[in-house]
Amino acid sequence: MVVAETATAMRRPHFALRKSTRKAILIWSFLAPSLLIFLLYRILPLGWNVLLSFQAWSPMKPAVFIGLDNYQEMLFDDEVFWQALWNTLGIIASAPIGIAIALGLALLVNSDIRGRDVYRTLIFLSYPLMTVAVAIIWRWMFDERVGLINYVARVLDLVDKPIPFLNSFTWALPSVIAANIWQMLGFYMIIILTGLQNIPGNLYEAAAIDGANAFRRFLRITLPLLRPSLFLCFVIGMLNSVTSFDLVYVMTAGGPGRATEILITYIYKLAFTQTRFDYAAALTVTFFVLLLGVTWTANRLSGGNAGAVGMD
Amino acid sequence: MRKYPRWPIHLALVATCFVMLVPFYWVLKTSISGENIFSYPPSIIPRHPNPFYYVDVWYAIPFARFFLNSVIVSVMTVIANVVLNAMAGYSLTQGFRGKTVVLMLFLSCMMIPFQTTIIPAYLITGKLGLLDSYLGLALPMFSTIICIFVFKASFDAIPHSLIDAARIDGLSEWKIIWKVMIPLAKSAMATNVILSFIWSWNNFMWPLIATRSADMQTLPLGLARFLSYQEDSTGALYAFCIMVLAPGILLFLLAQKEFVQGLTSGAAKG
Repeated sequence: MVVAETATAMRRPHFALRKSTRKAILIWSFLAPSLLIFLLYRILPLGWNVLLSFQAWSPMKPAVFIGLDNYQEMLFDDEVFWQALWNTLGIIASAPIGIAIALGLALLVNSDIRGRDVYRTLIFLSYPLMTVAVAIIWRWMFDERVGLINYVARVLDLVDKPIPFLNSFTWALPSVIAANIWQMLGFYMIIILTGLQNIPGNLYEAAAIDGANAFRRFLRITLPLLRPSLFLCFVIGMLNSVTSFDLVYVMTAGGPGRATEILITYIYKLAFTQTRFDYAAALTVTFFVLLLGVTWTANRLSGGNAGAVGMD
Repeated sequence: MRKYPRWPIHLALVATCFVMLVPFYWVLKTSISGENIFSYPPSIIPRHPNPFYYVDVWYAIPFARFFLNSVIVSVMTVIANVVLNAMAGYSLTQGFRGKTVVLMLFLSCMMIPFQTTIIPAYLITGKLGLLDSYLGLALPMFSTIICIFVFKASFDAIPHSLIDAARIDGLSEWKIIWKVMIPLAKSAMATNVILSFIWSWNNFMWPLIATRSADMQTLPLGLARFLSYQEDSTGALYAFCIMVLAPGILLFLLAQKEFVQGLTSGAAKG
């Protein structure tokens, strides 16, 4: 085949050159639309956000460079920013709870029991659902008067009087987090399950022969080998949860007060109800740097490349 | 290995599935009975099931319009995703100058969640004159990096001998793509269709920002608006929920394998 190609190339040198150019044109014209979309809606916005955060600007008045004023206001004069930041960090910190539950479930559905595919499907079912509808459902599950959770708690005599979950400063954020975990659980489970199935079975057999009990096998084989999967879960779950604008917006709209305000909902309110695009851009940049930092740290800790697709 | 009793595993899993499914049952029950919005204690089985709340939805809001908007935007997104991602995925299987740069660019774009781009995305779409239009609603989601890599992996898995054979037979590059590679990438295509459909169908934040008139609103927006008008005082809200969730659940159950495959191969929201 190589011979044939060389022969053709020798006979028609112009054709060979033209062919490679044509190939390059084909490749770049195939890439162009996607590249354009990403430049327009990913790269350009990133730069524009940074630029905007150093300016005083609104659609009505021309842009003025004001240096770090937006950041100064954010750090020193805005209590809501700090509240939203803490709530966002709280949601990030809650991701391991969901992952721990999912790890248990993955171990269970990975055993060779009957009907495990049905279990997998049912547990995973909540993930692809429309979050707005999920938020409405959970809003109502948590309702003070007629919510199912309060009903069960009262029947079991766990509480004296119903808890107004979403109207309480203590309970609102945990309730939103619970709804978020409910939705993400199946996704975590699937990722961990894939990781479990990649662990070679003979490792367990060897360990069993050496006399290691089930708990030690889990601790010394399963957990270390699952580390990349668990961190992948954390990175994706964290990104999904803190950007889950719809869940918070519909369940509580950030209330009561600012008890469930997270950065993304606050950014939305600043930009689109108060028309403070410039200031909201400064918050967006901060939010982005936070996400990047957490992802980077998780990557370092996982020792792999969680969140990234293999380059080849 | 030693045999161990199975019933505790079943017990734990049944309990989990129960927790996962109870909210669905509760919503379904209320959507056909309207009970226990006011009554306490709630009944477990619906007492007088009827379809009236589903009819109510039709009269309370322009459901058909929202549905149509959602379908149009989702169909545009799905078609664009399949075509553009297949093209980009094919390019990435080829060797060319600048490939590393393109790969780096794609991978770094994965690190930029759409939610952190909303302000400039709104301004850019405004400058393009696309606010409050179907194209403007769909455009930011026209291509997803995850799905590009799904296509790339699928093209990479095609044996080289097959492509070389086609080349020796004198097929042009176009024909090779069209007649050899695309038919062999059916499962990647299915993954693309289902992922982009679900992302587009469920999307809330972008339509919230990019639409102005009620005529352009999609189902998630309609649902949120319905909630803010009616509060949670009517069974129709939950009937609406069921009507909106049903297509997603159905599609998921039909194409579960492709969906899971897509998520585990790359796993992140575009």
